Formats: sequence, C-alpha cells, structure tokens
Amino acid sequence: MSEDQLYFFYDLFQYLINGICQGSIYALIALGYTMVYGIIKLINFAHGEFYMIGAFTGYFCIRGGIPLYFAFPIAMLVPGIIAVLIEKIAYKPIRHAGRIPALITALGVSFFFQYFGQNVLGADPKAFPEVYEETIYNLGEAVSISSTQIIIIVTTLVLMLFLRWLVMSTKVGKAMRATSFNKDASELMGIDTDKIISFTFFIGASMAGAAGVLVGIYYNTVEPMMGLIPGLKAFIAAVLGGIGIIPGAVLGGLVLGVVENLVVGFWESTYRDAVSFGILILILLVKPTGILGTKTKEKV
Amino acid sequence: MSAPILHANNITMKFGGLVAVDQLNLKVFKNDLVGIIGPNGAGKTTVFNMITGIYTPSDGEIILEKRNINTERPYAISQLGISRTFQNIRLFKDLSVIDNIRLAGHQGLTYSAMSSIIRSKSFKTAEKKLTEEAIDLLKIFKLENKKDFLAKNLPYGEQRRLEIARALATGPQLLLLDEPAAGMNPNETNELSELIGWLRDYFKIAILLIEHDMGLVMNVCERIYVLDYGKLIAHGTPGEIQNNPKVIEAYLGTEVD
Amino acid sequence: MEYLAHLTLNCGIFIILAVSLNLINGMAGQFSLGHAGFWAIGAYTGAAFSVFSPLPIPDWMNLFIGCGIGGISASIAGILIGIPCLRLRGDYLAIATLGFSEIIRLLIVNMDVVGGPRGFTNIPKWANLGWVYLWVVITILFISNLMKGTHGRAIISIREDEIAAESIGINTFKYKLMAFVIGSGFAGVAGALFAYSQQFIHPNGFNFLWSVIILLMIILGGLGSITGAVIGAVILTLLPEVLRLMGETISQWRMVIYSLLLIMLMLWRPQGLFGKKELNLSALLGRKKS
Repeated sequence: MSEDQLYFFYDLFQYLINGICQGSIYALIALGYTMVYGIIKLINFAHGEFYMIGAFTGYFCIRGGIPLYFAFPIAMLVPGIIAVLIEKIAYKPIRHAGRIPALITALGVSFFFQYFGQNVLGADPKAFPEVYEETIYNLGEAVSISSTQIIIIVTTLVLMLFLRWLVMSTKVGKAMRATSFNKDASELMGIDTDKIISFTFFIGASMAGAAGVLVGIYYNTVEPMMGLIPGLKAFIAAVLGGIGIIPGAVLGGLVLGVVENLVVGFWESTYRDAVSFGILILILLVKPTGILGTKTKEKV
Repeated sequence: MSAPILHANNITMKFGGLVAVDQLNLKVFKNDLVGIIGPNGAGKTTVFNMITGIYTPSDGEIILEKRNINTERPYAISQLGISRTFQNIRLFKDLSVIDNIRLAGHQGLTYSAMSSIIRSKSFKTAEKKLTEEAIDLLKIFKLENKKDFLAKNLPYGEQRRLEIARALATGPQLLLLDEPAAGMNPNETNELSELIGWLRDYFKIAILLIEHDMGLVMNVCERIYVLDYGKLIAHGTPGEIQNNPKVIEAYLGTEVD
Repeated sequence: MEYLAHLTLNCGIFIILAVSLNLINGMAGQFSLGHAGFWAIGAYTGAAFSVFSPLPIPDWMNLFIGCGIGGISASIAGILIGIPCLRLRGDYLAIATLGFSEIIRLLIVNMDVVGGPRGFTNIPKWANLGWVYLWVVITILFISNLMKGTHGRAIISIREDEIAAESIGINTFKYKLMAFVIGSGFAGVAGALFAYSQQFIHPNGFNFLWSVIILLMIILGGLGSITGAVIGAVILTLLPEVLRLMGETISQWRMVIYSLLLIMLMLWRPQGLFGKKELNLSALLGRKKS
C-alpha cells in the first residue's frame, strides 16, 4: 500500500471514530424524539431544548462545585421534569386537535426556550469548566481517540442498554409499548396512559439532557441556541432509522454522525448541514418509515 | 343479459395477514339496484373502497365497462362514472350546501384558472349555469331553501340527502351508497326507500348499496349479495336470500340443540 | 416620515408573504414550513438580475421584470419541491419543506457570486411604496378571485376532506401543487420587492425563524382567511416597532412574546382572529350576497 493510500485509511478511521462519537450524541437525543413520536405521534420540535437545558444544568452544577457524578444525574433529571411540565401544560390540552396543531405548539415551545434562554442567560457561549484531565490515546500514527470520546460512546451505550432493558423487560416498558401501539385499547386494559406518556417524555428528555452534558464537556461551550441544530439533526436521525422505533434512533444517529464526518473530512465542511437535510428529503421520499420501518396502510 | 357495467372479478383484499375480502365475484348491470349485506366486519365497505380506488386489490380485477380500474386513483374513477357516499358522511362541513354541490360539478367546467382570476365572460357564464344546475338538483332533494346553510348545520337526515345529491352531481352511471339509512328513524328510512328507487328511475343510473336495515334492503333491492368474513355466502333475490339458511346462520348463529 | 414609509412598505411585503402562504397552508391545508426558501429565491434571483444585467429601460419596467423573474424562479422551485413533497402526509410534509428551505439557504451561503455569507449588496432601489402596494393588490385580487372559481373551490375541498374531494373527481394532487406553486411564486415576487427596497439581502434573513414568523401571521389572522392573513401580517410587522417604542428590554423579549403567542393561540384560539371567514365588503355595504 502506498503512503497516500495508508493515510487515506488513517483519515477514514479517524472520521469513523469522530462520526461514531458525534453519532452517539445524535442517537441519545434521537431516542427521546422517537419515543415521544411513537407514543403520541407528536414531532416534539422542542426536544432539542431539553438537550440545551441539560447542558446548562450541568454547567451550573459543575461551576457550583458539584462533582461530575452528581451533576450528571441532576442534568438528566432537570430536563426530564421540565419535559413532564411542558407536556401537561402545552401538549396534553391539544392532544385531540391533530398533528399539525401539535407541531405548531411544539414550535412555539422550542422558540420560547431558545429566546427565553438567550435573554436570561445571555446569547454568548459560556465556557464549560474542565471536569477532568483529558487523555489522548494514539492508535497508530495518525489516528487518535480522546478519553472524552470514549466516555461519550460508552455512556451512550450504557444508556441505550438501560433503555432497552426498561422498554423490553419491565412492566412500565410493556405499558409504554402497549400505549404506543394503541392508546385507547391500553386505556381499556387499565393502563394509565397519561402517566405513561409523562414518563416517556421524562425518559426521553433525560437522555437528551445527558447528551447535553456530554457535549458541554466535549466541545467546552454551551449557549442557549445550541439545541436548535442538534435537535433538527436528531430528528433527521430518528426519521432515518425509523421514527417510533428505538433501535432506529440509534442506527439513524450513528449513520448520520458518520456521514457528516465523512462529508467534512472528504468533501467540504460547509456542505455538512445541507447533506444532512438532503438525507432527510431522500428518506422521506424513498422510505418515509425509515430504514427499520415497515409500510403501513391508512384505514378509511 | 347484457354485459355488466361493473364486474369485480374474484377480488381479494389483504391487509398484512388479514384477509378482508376473499375472492369476491360481483356484477352490476345497467340500471341495476343491488344490495350488499352482511354482519359487521364482513368487508362490505372494503369492497366499496376497492371499487372506488382507495384500496388496490391484492388479487383479482375490477372492470368498469371493459376497463381494468385496479390501479386508478379515486378521482379518476369518479371521472369514469362511479360516485359514492360514505358510512360516516363526508360532507364539506364548513362549506355551504350549494358549494358542496358546485364542487361536484367541477369536472364539467372547462374555463381555465386565469379565466376565473380575470373574471372573464366565459367564467361568469359557466358559473351561472353551474349554480342553476346545482339549485335544480337541490330542488329534487328538497334542500334548495337551505342552499346557503353550512353543511354542518343541517340536521342529520338532510346531511345524508345532501351527500347523495352531491354524489349525483357528478353525473355518474353507478352510485355506491354506504349505509345510507344509518341513524335514521323508520319514517326517514321509508322516505329513503322511495327516494332510492325513484333516483334509479329518474337519473337512469345503477345503484349498489350497503345496508344493515333489512326492511330497506328487501324492499328496494332487486338482487342482494351476502358477505361474511370477506367471503360471498349467498347471492339472489330478496326472497331467495331471506330463506337462505347460510344467511340466517351468519346473522343469528346456528341453532342450539 | 421616511421611517413610516419604510414600515408601511415592509407591511406590504409581509402581506404578500402571508397571503401567499395562506393559499398553501390555509386554503389547501398543506402544511409548509419552507416559505422563507421561496422568498429567498425570489430575492436572490431578482437581486442578481438587477445587479448583473439590468436593462436600459426605466426603473419601474425593470422592477416588473425583476419581480417576474423572482416570481417565476420561485414557482419553478415550487414545482420541483412540491412534486416530491406534496405526496407526503401532514407533519412529514412540514419537515420536508423545512429541509428544502434550509438546503436552499445553505446553497445560497455557499454562492460567493451573490455575496455568500457576507450578503448581497448594492441592489438598486427600484421599489417604492406605490409599486409594492400595487403588487399587494395584484396578489390579493389574484388569489381571492381564484378562490371564487372552481379551481379555488377544489383547493379548499382538499383542506376540508381530501377523500371526499377525490370521490367527486377532484385530482387532489394537481390542486395541491397548483396552490403550492402559486403560493411560492408570490413569495418570490415578495422577495424581489424586498431586495429592491432593502438594497441588501443576507441568507440569515431567510432562515427557518422567518418561515415560522410568517406562519404565525396567518395563524394569528386565521388559517384560511385572506383578510386574516393581511391583518396578521400588519400586526406582526408593526408589533416589533411598538415593542421597540416600549423600551429596549421589552423589545429584546420579542421572540419570547411571539412564541408564547403561538402557544396561546393553539391552546385557546386556534382559529385565530378570522377563522376561515373573510371580511365581506358587499355584506358590509348592505348589498345582497349572490
């Protein structure tokens, strides 16, 4: 193999590592999107804001001296609680009104948090305090992986396995699956669907919150508008993998993260977002139910 | 007997593993008055949906005057001469009674969009004619006095009549009525029976109807198809159907010995 | 005085944007979140014409040609985007149009010939209050007359009940596309007018936020009402100025107020001010309805 070819593979490998890391972030956020859509067919545009709230919670906690292993769960809890409140105040009352009114309300909630945050916290990016000494591991000549990247990938894996266990092996998880399959029938079976829906929002938002803290550590900055683009990307990831399907969110997130990094690496970074939106359009036109989705027919 | 205008030839409809309609053979002839009956869930509305293009048959063919319409879109099938009403009434609720009718007259209008925008003479003449024809149709259904009412403000019985009127406004050769008597009291059902027969004669159309009200079906229909679990279990005149043990069994179950 | 003239001119541009979006979202019931993209196409093509190849004719004639170019370019984009997207269901359509709108904006940012991330400057001031409002009148007359004919009725029937519309022979896809293309075309005209009055355009001025603001205008006014769209556009163009007068701090909270307004409308008055109704002038003047 020539030197050029060798470096091509080194670069590719590095982009894959970066991509899987970025993809893990997208996957964590996408999980919340997909669970909420699965259960009440709502595209919660405001979901990216839970990620932002988690990041800021982590920021304030750590600045306040709370160690990471406490700050992290708190940063998951706070967006979770806020999500439950939002659901009760803004989404539940219009649940019957249809998907478009729900989407519009979610838009309103999303912008509310972004601009409220901007006004209260200031639009400028804040430096996330250093939590631990970062180590870089070199894998061969030109490829490296940082401890933070490892932490992100591992944390995501752990949270995903936890979620899978929760959804597949617990009573609550069964109730969640039942409610997303058929809400009315679940009600008739004695499931308190309102509680289940609240719980779903809680779990989804806490996953996003976790992603927020991880990103704060990884990129060292947080700012109030940080939720908008990752929120959209996570939504693209969820649709790509199959909206409403939990493994789909993970698959979509990883694929999107890797593709984005390949675009930045081998093509032009300015086209990164355009390519992501292009993927969204492509999937919606070719297979709207996503990679892992099935075709369903609407009954008249 | 002449060739049927509609021939559903061994049609089957599958939704995943569920067989909603199973190898049904159905014919409708010119000026026919045919009924489809069967217990709930027998697949009757599914048959209507297949004929009108909302579903594409999983197997078999639907032939409208020698033309296979399996994959045609609903609007094309309407333009080919099949009209329908819906089980749950699908009127344009926030539009006026006369607008519901005028919309059905859409196909007959040939002026271009630009003509309407510049309000040309051809536009005005065409609209005037359309409105007159719409009012004439409403008179037949005794709804012309309420022509400017919003459709949602009509009493239930009149809404059903309006839906039938709208279906006829497209000038079909075959009219599909999905449970037209649903929710009607005995008086209204009687009036409807007379109306259906009269419509067939006046408009010279064929009518295929789904109904649960046995009185109406036996009174009005000349032939009846009986469906159960998606399969055809009997076909014949009202007299034949009433005495058919399979039909009785489907509705009432078998005797307990 | 010039400030008031400029404000009124902006009202006019947003009236065109709101009325044209209303045709798609309100009349046809197709939820598009990408209107800013068509606005951008009209602005940039109109601006490009005026900067790179203006014709040696009086300004007002150039204006009309520029608006035509902007409108037609946006319409063509409307056809290209509409054909794939309008096959999608409700919320998916919204996301797809959002996606396309962002792609358009990102492509513009990468086009240095029209200024890219620095924006497009030195656009001639061809537009004035009079011409803008002439276009406002044209837009309103065009769309309201369209609505009174069979094509407009067909478009509304799609919103009311798509399945019923198909069952009476209306090719719903054709009319969805018609509404989408006409709506995007007028957004393009508004874009050209915008360029010719602001004399400077920037990709950030056509982002997703602006699609949402235009949407808020028609939801406030009433989805499905042309009158509502006009009123909504006027209110939301004047509101920032009113807030500015009330103080710098209040003005900063503009977007927060908008988002709360959006949420409250959806919760308590989703039909907005006018619902689907129009201000019927002949009824007001006492004449009989036909």
